[in-house]
Amino acid sequence: MNSKQEQEELIFDQARELKSLAEQSSFLEQACNGDAEMKRRLLELLSFEPKAQRFLDGVMGKVKDSHLLEEIPDAPDEFDDQVGTMVGRYKLLEKIGEGGCGSVYMAEQTEPVRRRVALKIIKLGMDTKSVVARFDAERQALALMDHPNIARVLDAGATETGRPYFVMELVRGFKITEYCDANQLTMPQRLGLFIQVCHAVQHAHQKGVIHRDIKPSNILVSVHDSGPMPKVIDFGIAKAIEEPLTDLTLFTAYSQLIGTPAYMSPEQAEMRGSDIDTRSDIYSLGVLLYELLTGKTPFDGQELIRSGLDNLRHTLREQYPQRPSTMVTTMQGNELQATAKRRQSEPLKLISALNGDLDWIVMKALEKERQRRYQTANALAMEIQRYLDHEPVLARPPSRFYRLRKLVRRNQIAFAAAAAVFLALAAGFGVSTWMFFREREATKIAVDAKEHEAQLRAAAERGAANEVELRQAAESHAKNIQAAGLIQNNRFEEAEKLMTTIPQKYQTMEGIQALRSLGEWHAIRKEWQPAAKLFDLVLKVNQSEATYYSSLDYARQACTLMKLKDAAAYETLRQDMIRRFAGTTERHIADRVLRYSLLSPPDAKLSERLSPFVGCLTNQPINPASFADDSAWHYLGVAMYEYRQGQYADGANYCQKCLNYIGRAGPGSARIAVANILLAMCDVQLGRKDDAQPHFADGKDLVDQKFKTPLPATDGFSSWFDWIYARILLDEAESLMTCENYISPGH
Amino acid sequence: MLEPDVTLLLQFLGKDDGRASNELLPLLYAELRRLAGARMRREKAGHTLQPTALVHEAWMRMVGETDRTWANRAHFFAAASESMRRILIESARRKSRIKRGGGGLVKINLDDLDLAAGEVDDNILLIDEAIEELEKSDPEKAGIVVMKFFGGMTNQEIAQHLGVTERTVERHWAYARAWLLRAVTKEQ
Repeated sequence: MNSKQEQEELIFDQARELKSLAEQSSFLEQACNGDAEMKRRLLELLSFEPKAQRFLDGVMGKVKDSHLLEEIPDAPDEFDDQVGTMVGRYKLLEKIGEGGCGSVYMAEQTEPVRRRVALKIIKLGMDTKSVVARFDAERQALALMDHPNIARVLDAGATETGRPYFVMELVRGFKITEYCDANQLTMPQRLGLFIQVCHAVQHAHQKGVIHRDIKPSNILVSVHDSGPMPKVIDFGIAKAIEEPLTDLTLFTAYSQLIGTPAYMSPEQAEMRGSDIDTRSDIYSLGVLLYELLTGKTPFDGQELIRSGLDNLRHTLREQYPQRPSTMVTTMQGNELQATAKRRQSEPLKLISALNGDLDWIVMKALEKERQRRYQTANALAMEIQRYLDHEPVLARPPSRFYRLRKLVRRNQIAFAAAAAVFLALAAGFGVSTWMFFREREATKIAVDAKEHEAQLRAAAERGAANEVELRQAAESHAKNIQAAGLIQNNRFEEAEKLMTTIPQKYQTMEGIQALRSLGEWHAIRKEWQPAAKLFDLVLKVNQSEATYYSSLDYARQACTLMKLKDAAAYETLRQDMIRRFAGTTERHIADRVLRYSLLSPPDAKLSERLSPFVGCLTNQPINPASFADDSAWHYLGVAMYEYRQGQYADGANYCQKCLNYIGRAGPGSARIAVANILLAMCDVQLGRKDDAQPHFADGKDLVDQKFKTPLPATDGFSSWFDWIYARILLDEAESLMTCENYISPGH
Repeated sequence: MLEPDVTLLLQFLGKDDGRASNELLPLLYAELRRLAGARMRREKAGHTLQPTALVHEAWMRMVGETDRTWANRAHFFAAASESMRRILIESARRKSRIKRGGGGLVKINLDDLDLAAGEVDDNILLIDEAIEELEKSDPEKAGIVVMKFFGGMTNQEIAQHLGVTERTVERHWAYARAWLLRAVTKEQ
């Protein structure tokens, strides 16, 4: 509407309020400002105005009495009442399902054989010809599929009214998720069913057929004599009805054909139709597994749709879902109860069953980059079988290095969610209180529940007297959990910002793990100063955690302080470590204390305090059975001690014991390097320079090789601090060798 | 497979300015036709169908009480109005063609207006032609006519959908309906 039209409409609007034609005329004379044509137009229009509403009402009234609406051909659901009619050579018997995609009928085929089939009539709006053409192209491959867990697609065609239909083997069963819940299948039973599904998908993949739409409603479970039997339906149909998708048709695709994007792989969401391969099905299997285990999909399908197209793609491409165990842990108490009950389990058991192997298996199937997923459905099935057989699984936590690389690549993208977290925390008491209760709910079921509750109750009691403190406690607990979540998503900087705002007295177990991860993140980036601060905090806060973990924390900090060349702090640390673990009878602890407290030479007093640890390792005979794994390697601590005492022959002897028994050290692990370097050092001190040389070279090679690339947090055999330890020792050895050369050039 | 969730569709598309109506059209078109057909079969001959009542019924069936968001309701009704227009026009065209054998439409004599002159299908077609004409010069007003006439929407709903004030809707509507009547009547 241009301004002249608008002006005319405004004049009209005022004029129609006037009662008489004379009044209107004289008003228009003025308002039109001498534009006689406009005045004439408006006067004419005004004459229609009083009758206009009545006219339109009249017409609509007559529509009601006419037969206009009655004579609408009822096309979209023409088959609604068509039970008994023929579609092609199939007689419709009963409608057995209806969905966004179309209606499914039980039908009867009379020739060439009499049998019952399922007939799926696709809704109007599809280009029937190309649907049928695409199906024909797949027909050959579909015919080759022959597997007990696959419902065969038998035929396809077009109805007389031009709608495509598919004929399938008739399966009477329940959605796999519903079946599992209704029958309270245990985790192993669910995994057993899932393995069968994997085998079916594998079979199809081998015949060159990709499903493209694996989700619970396409996997029906029926009960046979031999037990429950899952059948995958709709093979080949998704491809046939999949139009080349554009943004504009996307929603229709989601809502009508696919139903929910919750099962869609990132590459499918990208809509590059030609780029879909079998690994897209692996992703969807991963989602299915996730749902069978936790009752939820990694991302909520409706939320995905609600977030809009761009966000949806972004989420599927960039955001890592919560691990299954975490997902379950964050459920409300009663929801968690119900979820566990449906698996004949209990909350704590459920969480610990998911935590670890199952987490990693699911997450590997859900990898964003398909080359990082299981490459075949069979591999996924075998992995689950390994889990069921209590064998080690291949899926491992993605290496920290890989995640760091991803972090750097993703850093440009601003994470709206992170902002939301900060806002929520900044928003004050309302949110915090809510978080407080939520966290209380969550911690109730956490592994260290009792301790948490006590902490929280104490916090609450303290807070009753002091509201400010209550608020701080609540906020801190919320922040601890948030930070843990951020770290899980590799968002270290944000997590650190968050953690530094938490007063020490409000640190929780999640917080300690968060601090530790942050410290490691700094350490492998050689940022020793902040790493030392964080490890220091971990050690201060964590006086209760199992000794195994805290002995590792001392190891981390020992290396960090050595790298910082902070001799005073190192001295304090080793005194503290010796005090804390005094009297231990555990060999691996004794070994660790010895090694990490002897990175610099001890004085006599310290040596004396360390001798009980040596005793712990040398007084007990080594159990031949455990000797087969690791025990010999604990002599490394003794070797280190003897070296520092000047007992070089003994030191060399113990090093040799280690090296003679590689055991499960792993080829090229840090301790092989350390044993070689320490042996070389002993030899040099004993004046056996020629003997020293090859060991030194071996150790140095390993270390140099390792430090060519950034250190991973762990490489499967050794942690980053094991390598830093080796590096520190190597530096000492190198200066020793040069020193020896200088002193006795004639050697 | 899931039924398409209209509420989600509304929300999903509400974010992509203005496309909601376009995307909803096929869905609503099918649903309204289905509803009309089902109603007629159920209620046999003699009963009558009010188009605007049908639109409301579609809302209740497809979205219903689960969504009380006014913006969604308005988007829905806007799309439903356009669907209803198409359904009625198709039906009227078929009937009118049978009757007249394809001749042109005859405009209404203003003096006969109250005598309910002319066949309803012809009137509907005339109104549709006029709306098409109005769409060329002033699409917003044309839209309002469709929403008022075919969808039975209130000024409040239309204002919500278009993001204008109710007063503006009222003003546009007054002008548009006068314009429309002039367009469908014979020159005096």
